[in-house]
Amino acid sequence: MPVNHDFDVIIIGGGITGAGTARDCAMRGLKVLLIERSDIATGATGRNHGLLHSGARYAVKDSESAEECIRENKILRRIAANCVEVTGGLFITLPEDADSGFGLDYQATFLEACNKAGIEARAISPREAIQMEPSVNPTLIGAVVVPDGSVDPFRLCSANVTDAVLHGAKVLVYTEFLDFIREGDTILGVKVRDSRTGETAEYRAPVTVNAAGIWGHGVAAKAGVKIGMYPAKGALLVFGHRVNNVVINRCRKSADGDILVPGDSVTVIGTTSTKVPFEECDHMEVTPDEVKLLLREGCALCPSLASTRILRAYAGVRPLVADDSDPTGRSISRGIVCLDHETRDGIKGFVSITGGKLMTYRLMAELATDAVCRKLGVNKTCTTAETPLPGSMDGRIESVSKRFEGKPSAGQKGAAGRQGDMVGKIRFDTDADKQLVCECENVTLAEIKYAVRELGVSNLEDLRRRTRVGMGTCQGTLCIRRAAKALAEALGKPEMAEKLAADYLDERWKGMRAVGWGDTLREMEFMQRVYKFEKPYSYDEV
Amino acid sequence: MQETNISAKNFEQCQKCSLCETVCPVMANNPKYAGPKRSGPDGERYRLKNGIFFEDSLKYCLNCKRCEVACPSGVRIADLIQQARIDYGRKAPKLRDMMLASTDQMGPLAGAFAPIVNFSLGLAPVKGLMHATIGVDKHRTLPKYSSETFVHWYKKHAEAAQDAYKKQISYFHGCYANYNYPQLGKDFVAVMNAFGIGVQLIPEERCCGVAKIANGMIAAATRDAKINIEAFLRSVKEGREVVTVSTTCTLTLIEEYPELLKVDNSEVRDHISLVEQYLYKGIASGELKPVWKDGFKARAAYHCPCHQERLGWGIFTTELLKMIPGMELIELESNCCGIAGTYGFKKENYKVSQAIGKPLFDNIAAVAPDYVACECETCKWQIEMSTGVPVKNPVSILAEALDLEKTAAANRK
Amino acid sequence: MKFDVVIIGGGLAGMTAAAELQKAGLKCAVVAAGLSLHNVSRREFTAAGGTLLAGDSVVSGRFDGDRLAAVRTGKLGSVELEADNFILASGKYFSQGLVADMDRVYEPLFGLDVEYDEDRSTWFDPSFAAPQKFLEFGVKTEDGCALKDGSKIVNLYPAGELLAGVSTAQGDATEAIKKTALAAVEAIRRK
Repeated sequence: MPVNHDFDVIIIGGGITGAGTARDCAMRGLKVLLIERSDIATGATGRNHGLLHSGARYAVKDSESAEECIRENKILRRIAANCVEVTGGLFITLPEDADSGFGLDYQATFLEACNKAGIEARAISPREAIQMEPSVNPTLIGAVVVPDGSVDPFRLCSANVTDAVLHGAKVLVYTEFLDFIREGDTILGVKVRDSRTGETAEYRAPVTVNAAGIWGHGVAAKAGVKIGMYPAKGALLVFGHRVNNVVINRCRKSADGDILVPGDSVTVIGTTSTKVPFEECDHMEVTPDEVKLLLREGCALCPSLASTRILRAYAGVRPLVADDSDPTGRSISRGIVCLDHETRDGIKGFVSITGGKLMTYRLMAELATDAVCRKLGVNKTCTTAETPLPGSMDGRIESVSKRFEGKPSAGQKGAAGRQGDMVGKIRFDTDADKQLVCECENVTLAEIKYAVRELGVSNLEDLRRRTRVGMGTCQGTLCIRRAAKALAEALGKPEMAEKLAADYLDERWKGMRAVGWGDTLREMEFMQRVYKFEKPYSYDEV
Repeated sequence: MQETNISAKNFEQCQKCSLCETVCPVMANNPKYAGPKRSGPDGERYRLKNGIFFEDSLKYCLNCKRCEVACPSGVRIADLIQQARIDYGRKAPKLRDMMLASTDQMGPLAGAFAPIVNFSLGLAPVKGLMHATIGVDKHRTLPKYSSETFVHWYKKHAEAAQDAYKKQISYFHGCYANYNYPQLGKDFVAVMNAFGIGVQLIPEERCCGVAKIANGMIAAATRDAKINIEAFLRSVKEGREVVTVSTTCTLTLIEEYPELLKVDNSEVRDHISLVEQYLYKGIASGELKPVWKDGFKARAAYHCPCHQERLGWGIFTTELLKMIPGMELIELESNCCGIAGTYGFKKENYKVSQAIGKPLFDNIAAVAPDYVACECETCKWQIEMSTGVPVKNPVSILAEALDLEKTAAANRK
Repeated sequence: MKFDVVIIGGGLAGMTAAAELQKAGLKCAVVAAGLSLHNVSRREFTAAGGTLLAGDSVVSGRFDGDRLAAVRTGKLGSVELEADNFILASGKYFSQGLVADMDRVYEPLFGLDVEYDEDRSTWFDPSFAAPQKFLEFGVKTEDGCALKDGSKIVNLYPAGELLAGVSTAQGDATEAIKKTALAAVEAIRRK
């Protein structure tokens, strides 16, 4: 078994926390290894709203979280311009909220708390709110404008990984953590298995960081450490187009289905919150009751959702940390939990970073990296808050699009929106390169080749997370075969095309099944027809 | 809990089946055009995100609406494209486009000098100059302007007699019948009068606006639309249905006013009918009694214009023409002729325009009819220019086939 | 307008039946929402003098006891299409012969009896490649006629993918679909 000693730190988990930690560590000059059991951004990172919180949601109950959010919000606008959309947000008060004690009195409390936390919030009239966001429930009795936005978590995670690699980090995806290499009370490294080949390997480093989200519970257990985690399932629905252009929230105590976020070409409503057993975390299915609840609450924010097509449903698991099980009692109320297991449990060379949220990933990474540096005796300050991510040096699609010769095509504009200033690396050499593979989302063959070349893609799901291929209205009905062929060829394994397509179809099918009625069911029938009956349009000879 | 999905112009109902692409006449002939699916519903999702996704190539859409007829999901594809051009295509229209579009302003000007205008528009150097300067293709003969407009003729020769009829309708003649081909209006009056129906004009009739919409002159089109709808409303209140002769004008009045110009026509739209539909209904119900000429004989090929196809009223024309004894009617396979109003007049579109029409022209040549029956004025120009076969409006065919005097007698009782 | 047979739907089943009937000398009209791809049968149908209402769709029916007397379309407005017999070949979900909402599957035009499973969790197999139960649903028939609230509509013949158990989305069902169309043709010609 090959053993590798070349790292300062090993990070387990390629979600946004692990990716951010890898970037921070690498930028502080450490030799980093990041391992991820499947692809980056596959856990909770890729399964949330994509809300760029202003912090207003937490302002009344948890001012510390609120302050963290608005600080990170401002930082992300600066460093991740290509991953965020500054849409603005509304917190609306509905007549029924007044009946349940969250009327305009509460709005005043809310406003005060926001301003105290440093969140620019101002009340506007219902008429102004409707003008600002025409899809908002017109029965509203009050609204507050806050600096919410949306964030593309796939893009954000990918940019962090890319930057980590640019700073010398090694990233191994489809590499599963099996166990620790341990000597007495000291963690010396990890044993891993390549989930594609089944080969095992060992990697050693003086510090290992557990950034495995909800799966961090199991990782810690392998070190004999207990982190009391609370897997909270959150279900969400994706609507067919951008119904709203401003984030819409309810101005009341946080509840299910009270945030509506416009992201890229769609709108997302979420979420629910249900405790689930750990063994279910890998197999989340959205239930009919969750769908109904989300629709009911969504319609309260935006009545037209009742007649808007739902593309699919998905669910993620938040890695919440239970109050009662942290023996030190520290860090809990803040949401972010950074544990040095040497001081906490007497295990050397092991740090866990968990809790928190997508919004505060950078701060979490900073805290974890600080802990790693302390252990290694490295004295370097964090610069992630000032240094823009790759793709976000110039994040405006308008200016990025101007880099193309002549008028940019739809595919080039799509790529500019997704890849930001990295778009120069996409090579539109031939006419075939300019051809769209995914017409719903404007993804060209050139962008697919770029993703394979530069962004570490090995299947269609990975490709989807980096390019949006197959995420549009038809959910891949028209493009999966084309995309599978293009990807298989770019990977140099043309024989894989069919398998790539089949796997991806099963995954698309899963999200559609939960909302399989109306136009979605029509699409599902069409999808079956296209893939099972080879000649849908060949009746000419009949 | 969830109702049937609704979205603006049904864009979200698109299942990406791509049937629209198989019927788009432009896509087959112009590689610069991305096609109806991508220009319409696909593009709309991204335009909602950011106007930068508006594609200039939408201008190649000739708005034939065949995509809408083909769509199994009821997506108003062509309307989506026109709407996007209105909302995002902010360039000022060219002088040529304004000239071609302002059919009712060019009409009066040109009509007064018709002999000169017609002479000069047909003259080779002038055509070359127009090709080079304002971009009207040199192969095109611009529609001839008549020296006496229909309205002028009507006031002089017909108006006084109309009040005598018990039943009355309002006639929306459109620009073509007024300025270019008054004979159509005269035939209309003759046929209607024969059936015992008096023909009143719409006071202050404005151009329906289709050419203005196509060329981006939305404010002017909206102004005209409002005046027309007001006038229709008065007519309907006074008990006169509005009867039209142009399929394109009709589609514009019925569909485009509310969809694209946001002019509410809900109170009048069910009272607007094409003349063929009006007559078919009247004859089928026994209310109108035609008496046909003895010995009438004709072999006609019916070409259903794109906008008639979209209205879905071609059946009224064919059923009406089939009533004529001695009429052999051949229904041509549905194809676009390629002219699409002012589209084919622009020099950048000439080649595409002719390529689109070729299947139809070949079909007509194969059938070799006495003439082509067709309700649309611009199809007439295109087919006559491209095939040499004359094109007759069904109203004019009726005027020939009916024994007008005996019909008048039969309908007086 | 009066026809011998009105065929609702211009897909494979509708167009096959229409061409057969028109060639047999019956006066037919096809109401086809969306493009008909079946060029061969469509040309046969129109060449034989059949009436094709392209891009139009039936919106309602007028019943006379146990018979469908006439239908109205979206575009012809108050002008009814009357006929002695009707063939309903409006397809499954994609062509909206059937509509599924959250809790049920129904036939939207006449409210015909539909065979389906009320438990939506049974509609789909998690594996895309496996047979899918929702594609088996469709309208019920008795002696080839449609049923409404359990009673026969004696001159309305469902055909093609609208029928339970017939679907092209599970593989090539061309022959099966044509068979249902010809069965409807036979039933009408026997009259």
